[in-house]
Amino acid sequence: MTLHYAAIDWKLIGAALVLSAIGIMLIMSAQHYADTAYQQQYYLRQLMWLGIALTIAAVVLHFPLRFFDLTAPLSYFVSLLLLVLVLFVGTARMGALRWFSFGPVNFAPSDFAKIALVFALARFFAYTKLPVISKRRLGFSAMLALIPVALILRQPDLGTSLVFFVILFGMWFWSGLSPLYMLLIISPLFSLVAASHWLAWAIYITVLLVFLLLLRPGFVFGFFVVVANLAFGIITPFVWGRLADYQRLRILTFLDPGLDPRGAGYQIIQSKIAIGSGGILGKGFLNGSQTRLDFLPEPHTDFVFSVLGEEFGLWGSLIVLLLFCYIFYRAVRIAVRCRSRFASLLVMGSASILLFQFLVNIGMTLGFMPVTGLPLPFVSYGGTSLVLSWTLIALIASADYRWQEY
Amino acid sequence: MERFKLSLEGRERVGYAVILIVLVVLASGLVKLQLFEHRGLAIQSENNQIRVVPIIPRRGLVFDRSGNVIIDNRPSYTVSVVPAEEATGRTLANLGELLGMDTTLIRSRINRNMISRYQPASVKRDMSFEKVAILEEQSKRFPGVTYQMEQVRQYPGELGLEVVTGYVGEVSEEELSGLSRPAYRLGSIIGKKGLEKQYDRPLRGREGTAYIEVSAAGQILGEYKERQPVPATPGANVTLTIDSDLQRSCAAALDTFCCGAMVAVDPRNGELLAMTSYPTYDANIFSSVIPESLWQEISSDSTHPLLNRPLMGLYPPGSTVKFIAVGAALESGLITESTALKPCLGGMQFGDRFFRCWNPGGHGSVGPAKALEVSCDVYLYQLGLKLGVDRLSEFYDGCGFSHAPGIDLPIEERGLNPNSEYYDRRYGVRGWTSALVLNNAIGQGELLVTPLQLTTFFCGLANDGIVYLPHVVKRIAYADGRTVSVSPTVSRRLPFSEATLRVLKEGLRRVVEGEQGTARSLRNDLYSIGGKTGTAQNPHGEDHSWFIGVAPLESPEIVVCAIVENAGHGSDVAAPLVGQVIRGYFERKLLDETITVAEDNTEP
Repeated sequence: MTLHYAAIDWKLIGAALVLSAIGIMLIMSAQHYADTAYQQQYYLRQLMWLGIALTIAAVVLHFPLRFFDLTAPLSYFVSLLLLVLVLFVGTARMGALRWFSFGPVNFAPSDFAKIALVFALARFFAYTKLPVISKRRLGFSAMLALIPVALILRQPDLGTSLVFFVILFGMWFWSGLSPLYMLLIISPLFSLVAASHWLAWAIYITVLLVFLLLLRPGFVFGFFVVVANLAFGIITPFVWGRLADYQRLRILTFLDPGLDPRGAGYQIIQSKIAIGSGGILGKGFLNGSQTRLDFLPEPHTDFVFSVLGEEFGLWGSLIVLLLFCYIFYRAVRIAVRCRSRFASLLVMGSASILLFQFLVNIGMTLGFMPVTGLPLPFVSYGGTSLVLSWTLIALIASADYRWQEY
Repeated sequence: MERFKLSLEGRERVGYAVILIVLVVLASGLVKLQLFEHRGLAIQSENNQIRVVPIIPRRGLVFDRSGNVIIDNRPSYTVSVVPAEEATGRTLANLGELLGMDTTLIRSRINRNMISRYQPASVKRDMSFEKVAILEEQSKRFPGVTYQMEQVRQYPGELGLEVVTGYVGEVSEEELSGLSRPAYRLGSIIGKKGLEKQYDRPLRGREGTAYIEVSAAGQILGEYKERQPVPATPGANVTLTIDSDLQRSCAAALDTFCCGAMVAVDPRNGELLAMTSYPTYDANIFSSVIPESLWQEISSDSTHPLLNRPLMGLYPPGSTVKFIAVGAALESGLITESTALKPCLGGMQFGDRFFRCWNPGGHGSVGPAKALEVSCDVYLYQLGLKLGVDRLSEFYDGCGFSHAPGIDLPIEERGLNPNSEYYDRRYGVRGWTSALVLNNAIGQGELLVTPLQLTTFFCGLANDGIVYLPHVVKRIAYADGRTVSVSPTVSRRLPFSEATLRVLKEGLRRVVEGEQGTARSLRNDLYSIGGKTGTAQNPHGEDHSWFIGVAPLESPEIVVCAIVENAGHGSDVAAPLVGQVIRGYFERKLLDETITVAEDNTEP
C-alpha cells in the first residue's frame, strides 16, 4: 500500500524527530567524558535505534487502523503472556525482572503491554453499548488495566504500573466519563494519602461527604465511594508495611529529599543543582560540570533532561517543553477530528502515555515528582523506549492520515 | 446522571487545559530553579566540582648568631598508590620489590589509607631519593604509583640544642580546640616544644589555597581554571642569639658525664649564647612518625632525656647563692665589708645541732669577701641567723628566685624560695625553728632553682646589678621583607647598692684569684675570670656539682653556668668544664680578631 505523503502530518513527525535529535545530542554530552569507549558511543547506538524506531513507525503507518482494531484482543493476550513469561525467564537487573535479553538487545514486555492495553481499551470503548457510567463498563475496562498492573507489580516496577492507570483514566475520559466522576473513582487514593495523619483524613472524609451530597451521583455509586475511601484510609498502614524497602524509600525521599542524601534524594538534589546552575543560557554543549564530573546520576537515561537544563539553560528546556506540548496539542486535535471512535480513542490513549511519562520524568528532574525510573519519551537513551515512543507517534499520525475512515 | 457525561467540545477543552496545566507546572518549575534559585545552585555546582587544597608554605629556617643554618627543611617523599589506576599483580609486585616490602603489607596499607579509588593512598613515608628516582625513570613499570613530596624539619643533632629548638609534629585535637581555625586544621604541622612552639606563627607562614577540579568519585582532574589560586606566604626566617661554637663546646663538655646542663648568657643584653641539657634526644625522630617502641624507650629512660634541665630542672643551688646572703647583710647594715664574725672552726653549734662547714679544718676569722672566696659555711650560717628566714627570702626573691626568668621559650620553672609563710603552711605555725635559715643561707634546704635562674642572677652580678631578660631570638625576617629585631630589655635590678655589688664582685674575683679560692685552677693569662663553685647536697645521691663563671671580669661579656648531677665538688667537676668552655670562647675570639686585623692590614 502506498501512502499519499502530502496528507501525512509532517509537523507532528517533525516535532518528534527534533526531540529525538536533541536526545542523541544530550546522550552524547552525557557520556562524552565517560571512562569507556562503549559508554562514549551510547549516542551512536541511540542513532541506530532511531533508525530502527523510524522503520517500525513507517511500517505502523502503512498498516490500516482496522488491523489493530481486529487484532486488539490478540495483542492484549500476547502482552499478558509476555508479562508472565518475563517473571520466569527475564533478566534480573537491579533486583527487578523487567527485561528479555536477546544478546545486546533488551526488550521490556511492559512497553508492548502499554500499547496492547491502548488497543484493547480503544476496541472495548469503541463498540460497547453499555452506558458511560455503568458498573460493567467501568469494571471491565478497569479489569483490562489491572491485570497487566498486577503482573508488573510482581516484577516489581511501581513507576511503569502507574502508566497503565493513566491509560485507563485517559481513555475513560475520552470515552465520555466526566473528570468529576473520575475524581470520585480515584478518591480512595486521596484517602490513602490523607491517612498519613488522622486529622487530615478526618477533614478529607468530611469534604468528600459534602461533595457527594452536592453532586448526588446515585446511591449505589455514592455508597461504594464512601466505603472504598474508608477502607483505603484504614488499610494504609497495612499497605505501607507491604511495600518493598526501595518503594518506601522512594516515596519518603520524594517527600523529603534530605532523608537519603546519597540515594534517591541525592539524585534529585544533584539534578536540581544541574538544572538550576544552567541558568537562562546554560553552560554550553559538553560543558555541564554536573554531567561531566559524574555528579548527575543516569545522565543519559532518567536524568537526560537535567543535562539539557544544565547545558542549554531555560531557553533550551522551554523549547523541549513546547515541542512536547505541540505533539499533545496535535493529538487532541486529531482525536477530535477522527470519525472512527477506535482511532480517536487510540490517539488519546497513546497521547496519555507520552504525556504522563513527559510529566513524571521532567517533574522528577525538577524535584517535585518521585524518582520512578520512567524515561523521557524520544529523548532518553534506550531502544525500547524510543521504539515505543515512535510507535505511538506513528499510531497518532496514522489516525490523522485516515481521519475520514469509520 | 447526564452531568457525568461530557460533550466532545467539552472534552477537547479539558484536553487543552490539561496540556496547558502540565506546561505551566513544568515551566514554572524550570523558572524557579533556573531563574530564582540559579545563584545558589550555581554556587553548589561549583562547590561540587572543586576541592580546596591548602598550599603548605615552607617553614622558616633558623640560623645561629653568625648566620649558619641550625634548623633546615629537607624533602621527604611519600609513595602512594591510586587504586583505580593500579595494574593487577604488576604494580604491587614491582613496588614491593623496589621498597623491599611484602605485597600483602602494601595491600593492607592501601586499604587502610584509601579515601576513594581515585585518590592516592599512601604506602610508605620518607622514601629515599634514589628510590624516587627509580620510580620516576621507570614509571611504566609502576602503573598507578605516585609520590608526594613534603618538607620535613631537619634538626642539628650534634649541637645538643633540643632544649632551645624543640620540634614540630602534627597538631593534636586538644591543641586544635584552643587555636584559631583558619591557620590550623587537622593534619597541620605545629611546633610542639621549644622555639618551634614559641615562634610557630612566624615560622609557619600562611597557607595558600589551590582549587582542584574533582569528579563525583573524587578523581582529581587538574587545576580549576575559574579561580585564581592564593599563593602561600613562606615562614619567617629566625636568627638566634646562639653561638654554635660555644654551644657545641658546651654539649661536648657534658659528654663524659651522666647528666647535667649548661647555660651561657651575655650579661650585657641577656642574649642566650648556649644552652644544653644532657642527655638529650634526637629531635629529628619527632618530625616523622615515632615508633611506639622508641617512644617507650625515650620516655622511660632513667636519665630523663626529655627533661629540659636548664629551664625545668629544679636543683638546690648550694654555695653559688652565698652572694645573696652576704649582699643582703651588707645592704641591711648588719655587716660592713670588713666585718668578721665568729671564726669558723669547721662548724657551728646551733641549738642541739652541729652545723658543719664544708671544710672540717675551718676557715678561721673571715670577712665577707674572704667568706665568698673560701665559701665558708659558718660565716653564712651567722649571716642567715642575723637576716632571718623572711629577709633572706626577700633578697632571694629580689634576685629572681621563684620568678620565671622570662626567656622566650614556652615553659619555665619558677623554683622554690621558702619563707616563714611557706614553712607555716608546710610544718604548721611554730612547727619549725630558725635553724632552717642556716641551710637557706648556704643554698641548701628547701631552696630550689633552675640553672637559667642562677645564670641570670650572675648576669646581674656581672652587669652592675642590671639583669636583662634572657632571650634566644635575635631577629625575625618575614617573607615580605619586614625584619623585627629583638632589643635587650631590662628584667630586674638586683637589690644591692653599688658598694655592695663591689664587695660581691670582689668575692667573684677571689674565688679564682684568691690564694684559697675554690676555683683557683681557672687562673690563666688569656682572660680574667671570676665565678662561684657550688656543691649541692641532694636526696638523690652524690652532690651536684655547680660552677658559674663570669669573664672577663673587668667588663664581663659571658656568664657560663654548669651543673653536673651527682658528680661531686663544684671545684672538681663543674669549674673545669666552665673553664674549658670559656677558654674556647676567648681563643676563638682572639683568632677572629687576629684574622680581622690581618685582613685589615692587607688593604692598601
